[in-house]
Amino acid sequence: MNLYEFEGKQLLAKYGLRIPKGVVVRRGEDAIFAYENLGVADVVVKAQVLSGKRGKNNGIIFCSNSEEIKKAVDELFQKNIRGQYVAAVLLEEKLAIEEERYISIVYDTTTKQPILLYTEAGGMDIEDVAHEKIKKIALDIRQENLLVSLPYARELWKCFLTEDTRQIEINPLVRTVGGEWVAADAKIALDEDAFYRHEDWKNFDARTMLGRLPTERELAVKKIDEGEGYYRGTAGKYIEMDGDIAILFSGGGASIANMDALIKASLKPANYTEYSGNPPREKVYALAKIVLSKPGLRGLWIAGGVANFTNIAETFHGIADALAEIKPTYPIVVRRAGPFEDEGRRLIEECAARNGLTMQFFGKETSMSDTAQVLAGLLK
Amino acid sequence: MGILLTENTNVLIQGMTGKEGAKAAKAMLEYGTKVVCGVTPNKGGQEVEGKPIFNSVKEALKKFPAVNATAIYVPPFAAKAAILEAIDGDIPLINIIVERIPIKDMAYCLAAAKEKNVRIIGPSSLGLIVPGIGRIGVVGGPLVNEIFQPGEIGVISRSGGMTNELSWQIRRAGLGQSAAVHVGGDLLMGTTYADLLRLFEKDEATKAVVIFGEHGGSYEFEIIEAIIKKEFTKPLAIYIGGKFANVFPEGMNVGHAGAIVAKGQGAAEKEKALSEVGVMIAERYEDLVQLVHNQIYAH
Repeated sequence: MNLYEFEGKQLLAKYGLRIPKGVVVRRGEDAIFAYENLGVADVVVKAQVLSGKRGKNNGIIFCSNSEEIKKAVDELFQKNIRGQYVAAVLLEEKLAIEEERYISIVYDTTTKQPILLYTEAGGMDIEDVAHEKIKKIALDIRQENLLVSLPYARELWKCFLTEDTRQIEINPLVRTVGGEWVAADAKIALDEDAFYRHEDWKNFDARTMLGRLPTERELAVKKIDEGEGYYRGTAGKYIEMDGDIAILFSGGGASIANMDALIKASLKPANYTEYSGNPPREKVYALAKIVLSKPGLRGLWIAGGVANFTNIAETFHGIADALAEIKPTYPIVVRRAGPFEDEGRRLIEECAARNGLTMQFFGKETSMSDTAQVLAGLLK
Repeated sequence: MGILLTENTNVLIQGMTGKEGAKAAKAMLEYGTKVVCGVTPNKGGQEVEGKPIFNSVKEALKKFPAVNATAIYVPPFAAKAAILEAIDGDIPLINIIVERIPIKDMAYCLAAAKEKNVRIIGPSSLGLIVPGIGRIGVVGGPLVNEIFQPGEIGVISRSGGMTNELSWQIRRAGLGQSAAVHVGGDLLMGTTYADLLRLFEKDEATKAVVIFGEHGGSYEFEIIEAIIKKEFTKPLAIYIGGKFANVFPEGMNVGHAGAIVAKGQGAAEKEKALSEVGVMIAERYEDLVQLVHNQIYAH
């Protein structure tokens, strides 16, 4: 999960990093009141979005009085920054900057260990900094003590290890005219698989990186995998999209391949959805019901590869339960094979017959992409 | 022939008394894999599929010193301890089936494994199979004999389902597999595509390799280096899924945990870089088999 700047900074402050004096203003809150309470005249107003490059995209505005604040906040809330929804704005004291640095800790997939990146050329995109100007220090996840004397490196390492982050980036890390190091920005991503050791992560607001708030269906799907058996078969992935073909895919790999095949067949997905592992009937039912509840659907594609261990009968039971309830009138194309495939096919075809659904079923003799073409044909 | 697994591989299953572990034990034994024992803390003395369970890897190795591979079937929060036990016991091949292990725990295990020269496959790996010899995990499931037969094509996949689906496409074309390995979809991969290509290079049975890759992450780029250094010289075809993901913003996870939208790591960008060193690019995963088939049997 990616954190907003203000959340990241609160985390950094816990580890002793100095952050600018600031206040968060959410939509509908009184920005002028917040500004006056902050008690600093010169401030910077920053749009809170989940990716960087705000500066280049007019997401940062300097202000010196209430009128300017009002104008800036209204302006930022009307914007999408690089396609992203502005969840809140952060009003912060304007720093008197002496110099700007860059520091980050991320996982290096070559060494499969964390790596610290540091450059004196802070404030610009790290991709645009010449390679030789970036100091790269290989770290060992097993060593808690960091013998690096760069500003805030030790504090960051402690934060990285304790908070189960996937990425911490401060750009710029500022040295003020007064000689103090201040984290002027924070980009932090948490490793969601470590949620069970971080009770407090529950308190983060729901979020999406898309240019809108999470939809009710997205929020509802997230809940499906919660609870003790969270790692035993998942059915909690759902991203709402603009098209009209409902998607029920199985397996992370087959799902992305099938999305490509769907688009190649000139169809438009209403959602991206996958269930994986060997989820129980109830989880798949809950997922299918939410997927099918989206208005304006014109077709349904249920597709997956030849499964290794997913019980096709069990998972299709869940889909059939949802189909029987909703009784879609649009065409449905199914492609699936694997354990208990005969039983799975029988029960979903019987469900279709009983409820007068238009369904075509394909087993492993027909490839997945070909069945996207079948659906496209039915919709012509 | 094939890679990673031979007639002399003696497999331990950590977490064999659990539901998935017991199912895997059965599936592996049915396919002829030498599963010799299992480990579950506090369950020593029990049996699963007629094989003894020990409290610790140390105890298991005392009784079965020939163990040279382990499959890990424990809950994610118990994975680090289980993997470190296996590394401590110098078991040279660890196949981690567990999904959703925190990255920090995995990085810790990978660092420890590297020091002892232990190979880790996974995490979030379905397992691997050498047709006719054995399988670790449940690759192929109950349909394993319909999908796999000894042959000449190596299969590597970032996706468990697609490991099987690709292998089926190969079989459907009348061919067989030398080995199929699911490397797992996580951010940190114990054994990468390039690592496996180097093994397939040395394997006489393997005439060509097909790969199911994904958008996000940098592992596909390691293949380029292996080819330039001539560490892999056989025909190679790859499919990279996730072209549609470029409609999503950078930093967003779409698909497996390692599939994070990133500039320079999109499906199309990977395809371009790989095709420049002569890797055959499949537009659809179904086309992979035809591509390598043309190469191997053209003359």
